[in-house]
Amino acid sequence: MLEIGRVCVKLAGRDAGKTAVIVDVLSEPFVLIDGEVRRRKCNIKHLEPLERTIEIKKNASHADVLKALGLKEAKKKVQKKEKGVRPVRKRTVKIKTKKKEAKPKTEKKTVKVEKK
Amino acid sequence: MELKHKNRSFRKVKVKLASRVTTQYKRRKPAHAQCAKCRKELHGVPRAFPVEMKNMPKTKKRPERPYGGVLCSKCMRETILEKVKA
Repeated sequence: MLEIGRVCVKLAGRDAGKTAVIVDVLSEPFVLIDGEVRRRKCNIKHLEPLERTIEIKKNASHADVLKALGLKEAKKKVQKKEKGVRPVRKRTVKIKTKKKEAKPKTEKKTVKVEKK
Repeated sequence: MELKHKNRSFRKVKVKLASRVTTQYKRRKPAHAQCAKCRKELHGVPRAFPVEMKNMPKTKKRPERPYGGVLCSKCMRETILEKVKA
């Protein structure tokens, strides 16, 4: 019943209720699982096998398993900047400059008329 | 003994002072958290006053599994199996 490619539901721990796929069969009570759950060694007692199986190779990667299951890969979390001491701003002295004199609007209109 | 201490929600505590031993009155702790299905005592849920619970982080107030702090692990497994088989 528990061979490579068997889809199961996890029954214990923080991943309980999520679907997992058996990737490798280890020594007697343990198997290696992957899928919605974190890739890890798991006791058979903590798994409920389903009818569905998928075709994967032994020790298939996380991305391959998700593809076979038809799930999207979770987005990686963007690390936030650490709170604490603020970076010191460098103060720069602003030099006041004279404002440019606005050109009279009437000139532009006359130019356009000439082009046409 | 004041009148407000004259009920079961307070308990007597003997306190040693420098001169004598006196009795003081303290609030009893709230009851254990219990499983919603089988009424078993829940592990990992502290028996603290509401004020203390408010200041505690979320991860210290319940186990980190689905239905944590509501169902015991046995009942959680049963409910998941029911959902899977249905």
